[in-house]
Parts: sequence; structure tokens; C-alpha cells
Amino acid sequence: MYLAIREMRFAKVRYSLIAAIMLLVAFLVLFVSGLAKGLAYDNAASIQNRQATHFIMEKDSNARFTRSLVGEQVSERASTIVGEENVQPLGVKMTTVTAEGTAAKLDVTVLAVRPEGWLMPAVTEGAVIDSQSEGQAIVDDKLKDSGVGLGTVIVDQASGLKWEVAGFVSDESFSHSPAVFISGRDWQQLQASAAVRPGGVEEAEAGSNSTNYNAIAVKGDTDQARQLAAALPDAEVVTKTAAVSAIPGYKEEQGSLLMMIVFLFVISAVVLMVFFYVITIQKSSQLGILKAIGTRTVYLAKSVTLQVLFLSAGSLMISVLLVQAVEALLPSGMPFRLPASTLALTCGSFIVMSLIGSLLSVWKVIRVDPLDAIGRSAL
Amino acid sequence: MRHRLILRNITQTFEDGGMHRTVLDHLNLQVAEGELVAVMGPSGSGKSTFLSIAGALLEPTGGDVLLDGESIIGKEKQELADMRLHKLGFIFQSANLIPYLKVEEQLLLIAKLGGMDNSRASGRARGLLHKLGLSQRLSAYPEKLSGGERQRVAIGRALMMDPAVLLADEPTASLDASRGMDVVQMLACEAREMGKCVVMVTHDERVLTLCDRVLYLKNGRLTENG
Ligand SMILES: Nc1ncnc2c1ncn2[C@@H]1O[C@H](COP(=O)(O)OP(=O)(O)OP(=O)(O)O)[C@@H](O)[C@H]1O
Ligand SMILES: [Mg+2]
Repeated sequence: MYLAIREMRFAKVRYSLIAAIMLLVAFLVLFVSGLAKGLAYDNAASIQNRQATHFIMEKDSNARFTRSLVGEQVSERASTIVGEENVQPLGVKMTTVTAEGTAAKLDVTVLAVRPEGWLMPAVTEGAVIDSQSEGQAIVDDKLKDSGVGLGTVIVDQASGLKWEVAGFVSDESFSHSPAVFISGRDWQQLQASAAVRPGGVEEAEAGSNSTNYNAIAVKGDTDQARQLAAALPDAEVVTKTAAVSAIPGYKEEQGSLLMMIVFLFVISAVVLMVFFYVITIQKSSQLGILKAIGTRTVYLAKSVTLQVLFLSAGSLMISVLLVQAVEALLPSGMPFRLPASTLALTCGSFIVMSLIGSLLSVWKVIRVDPLDAIGRSAL
Repeated sequence: MRHRLILRNITQTFEDGGMHRTVLDHLNLQVAEGELVAVMGPSGSGKSTFLSIAGALLEPTGGDVLLDGESIIGKEKQELADMRLHKLGFIFQSANLIPYLKVEEQLLLIAKLGGMDNSRASGRARGLLHKLGLSQRLSAYPEKLSGGERQRVAIGRALMMDPAVLLADEPTASLDASRGMDVVQMLACEAREMGKCVVMVTHDERVLTLCDRVLYLKNGRLTENG
């Protein structure tokens, strides 16, 4: 402690420069982490936020909601295994709508849920809908930016169906598009109209006699999931995590950002390692003297580690403040999220990486021989 | 008379490309309290090796070293470090002060390592530095000091824990004649007043008059006449 602090006080410029580099790297790490988290949220919130543990999808749909179609009978079979209250159908359709009276087209994802069921998010503004309601929707409040308010009627481009906005939910989106929640009844119509158009009569009939959903959400443990998979050979049971990463673009986005974060961590460790290693080598004769006059090796090793810790913790603290300032300045549409858990994890990893970076210097400190102090005309 | 430093039958051999070289051969030395002993010898005769062994930095191939009656043989590295801290004071060829510590802090560091409490430490450091004529330079960094001043700080640092033995390796080598005399004068004075024993390796003939005994390292042994 005594030595560590005084050495940094003496070589202020040197240590400030390295602190500045660490600060920039730490800032970048935090910013990219926030961006990754924000994008993940923007992409998958409406799946992530659901209380389901698994989704039953059609075989060979590769865990993608939009590729899967499942019927009533799957839902019934699942009910016998996990119980009716733990099963909810989910319809997912990415589409384009216009708010009536405006020309602007909005990409949204229509999510069909049982309005009373546990897939329905809590309404933050306006009224709830129920299974009897027709032509009503609960939409994500990001649509407010596009001029959608309570009572606005939105028109589905493909089917021409109209829904009146009854209420808002917040932070609900799928594949970067805001979510629009509708009831099973409206979903049935949407399905029917979609089937009529390209396919003709046969498909229209198939669509009308039973409602198809994209997935069946279930709440159950892994054991029950295994039973479900066995009981439903024509379906696949997908965990929520797998369903989230199968959302188009999710894996790619998160993968490249994660790679950046990992690289930044490695860079910070290497920068610290090189800096402290060079400094330690430079002062190895001085370390020999200190050992010769009776300083314990542990004390010197602690001293180096403390300096590394001080620099990384200091620069981390400033960059946390910086990143929070930047977060406040970012436009609201920017997908940036830095919840306390991510912040803590990132800071923790940063400290750990810098400690790893200090190991080489500690090893060097341990290896310095006090014998070198005598009989050498050092410096 | 108490012998604070005793070297008994010290043998040191180095292995050099498969060949054994005996640098110290059954060397014996006893230094009493209050005594200043100068050790001379040609280059390569083993003076630094001898000093390293006396200073608990190097364990000899054979023999025993007693500091205030305590043997250094077979001790752990940490124990040796503690012995060097409490029982020994080193003064090196060039002062080898820590560049980022002010004069007073050079001494306080030792007190800190030795677990001396703060008020006592600062009192002792100031007292020593006053005696060494450095009262005006307490908060100067070593780079701002002259060679003689640095060597005096080094002496202060060596004395901080009130050690039994002071070991000096050519302490006057980097100083001019009169400053060299000053430094050795201080060592002699310290030995006599505080009852320490001082062993000084030197090439400097001029300072020998201040020493109680002059020994010559020859054929691995210490003898009274060169
Ligand atoms: N670690 C070692 N390994 C091998 N040989 C060594 C080692 N240390 C010292 N020696 C040899 O031991 C002999 C004595 O060395 P030492 O440094 O003690 O001499 P010295 O009397 O201090 O010389 P100088 O007056 O030049 O400082 C030298 O020949 C040296 O090469
Ligand atoms: Mg020598």
C-alpha cells in the first residue's frame, strides 16, 4: 500500500496515461455490452418476457415461430401432460400495418394470445381486452412515436383487417418490430384471410375448421418437456432460450457483439500486462534492493496487484459514470440497456481480466533475486 | 565482549560449467559490538560473496552464520527477509534509494515493514536524519540529492530498525575522497556509540585509518595482513 500509492504519485503522468487507455477500453466494453443487451431486448423481448419455459413447435421448424404451425390437438395433448392451466397457444405473424388516416407503413409483429392467459403482458395504459373482444389490439408503446394513440385504428396491409388500439404495453417487441397483441378470434380471421388469398378453396377450408397457431407455450420442468417430446412425435419441444436465439438475426447480432466484448476484455488485459511488465522489468534492480533490505516478496507482489486493481477499478468507475451520462443522452429509440446485473457482470469481468493481466508482473516480482543487490553497480 | 556477527567455517563453492570453484574456504570471522571491520581483496576474491552470506542473502555451501546468536541456516525465505529487516542494515555501492520515496519516507518504509508504530517511526526517522545532517532535506526525492547525501540517507535507512550488524559493499566507491571519509566516519561513529558491528568491503585505502581492523580476503580466507 505504502509503496504502491507513492509510486503512482511519483509517476503521475505514466500512470494517468495508462488509466486513460483503460478508461476508454472500459467505456467501450460497457457501451457495447449495453448495446448488445439493448439489441437482444429489442429483438426478443416479447418471447423473453413470456412466462413459458418451453414452446411446442412443428417438427423441422428449427425452433422458428414463423416456420411452425401447430393445431388444437397438440394443445390438448400437452394439456394432459402439464395441465391445462400451463398451456397457452401463441400465434406469431410479422406483417405491415398502417394507422388509419396516415400513409406511413409500420412493420409490426402480431402476437395472438388468450387475453386472460399468462402470455398476455400487463397493460400499462388504456383498457385490457378479453377473448370476446373483436377488432381490438394492445400494442407496444413504441408505436406512439409513429402517431398511434388510444382508439387509433390500424389496418393490416395483407388482409385488410382492422384493429382498434385499446391499450398499450411497454417493451414488447419481436425481431426489432413492435408487438401487437390480438385475441384468438381476430387471429382466426387473420389466418383465414391469409389462407384464402394464395391457396384457394382447399386451404380456406382447412383454415376454417381448426385454428392453427405457431406454437404452444407451456410451463413445465425438463422432465415434463421430455414427456411432451415423447408424446408428440410430430412436434419439437423447444426451450425458451433456444426459441429466442432462433429469432431471425438474434444469434448473429449477439455473436458479433459478444466477440467484440471478448476482444475488448482481452485487449484490456494485454494492455495492462504489457505496461506493468515493462515497468516491473525496469525496476527489477530496485525490487532486488527492497528484498535485500528485508521486504517480503508477498508485500511487493501485493503492491503490484494493488496498483493494477486501483487503475482498473478507477477507470471502471469513471467509465460507468460516463456510460450512464451517455445513456441519458441517447435518443429513446436507441436500443441500449445496461441493467445492474449486466453492469455488475461486466465490471467484474473487467477486474478479473486486469488481475489476469497483472500475473506476469507478479511472477516477475517473485523471480527477482535479492542477491542481485550486492556486488552489482546498478544504476 | 559480545560478538554480534559470527561466521564459522564458511565454505562457498560455485559450479561453473561442470567445474567446482571454491570461492570461500573455511572462512572464520567474529565481529564484536562497537567494531568497524574493513575487508579488502583483489577483484574476484569473493568479497561480495562473503558479504552476501553474512547478509543472509545467500546460504553457504557449508558453515554457519550467527546474527546475535541466531543461525541463518535452513531458514525459509520469509524468515530470512524478516531477519534482514530486523537484524541487518545494508549499505550498497551506490545508494540505491527508492526513487519515488522522499528522504523521510525511505526510512518510514522500513519502519512500516518492521511494524513500528507511526509516531515512534517518525520520531526515530527525524532523529536519525538530523544526526546525519539531513534535516533540511526531509521531503526531497533522491534524484535531487548529491551522491554524499544519498549515501547518508542509505545509512539512515540501514539504521532504522536498530540492527545488530551493518554491512557495506564499497560504500565510498561513488564518492569523492572527503565525502567518502565523512561516510565512513559516520559508520565508525554509529558502531561505537550504538554497539553495532560494521563490516565494510572497500577498495579505498584512505578510509582504513578509521577502521578498527583491516582484513584481507585471500584464498577464500580472511587474514590480518595483506
Ligand atoms: N552465482 C555465481 N555463480 C558462479 N560463480 C560465481 C557466482 N557468484 C560469484 N561467482 C564467482 O565467485 C568469485 C567471487 O565473486 P565476488 O563477486 O564475490 O568477487 P568480489 O571480490 O566481490 O569482486 P569485485 O571486487 O570485482 O566486486 C568470482 O570469480 C565470481 O565469478
Ligand atoms: Mg564485489
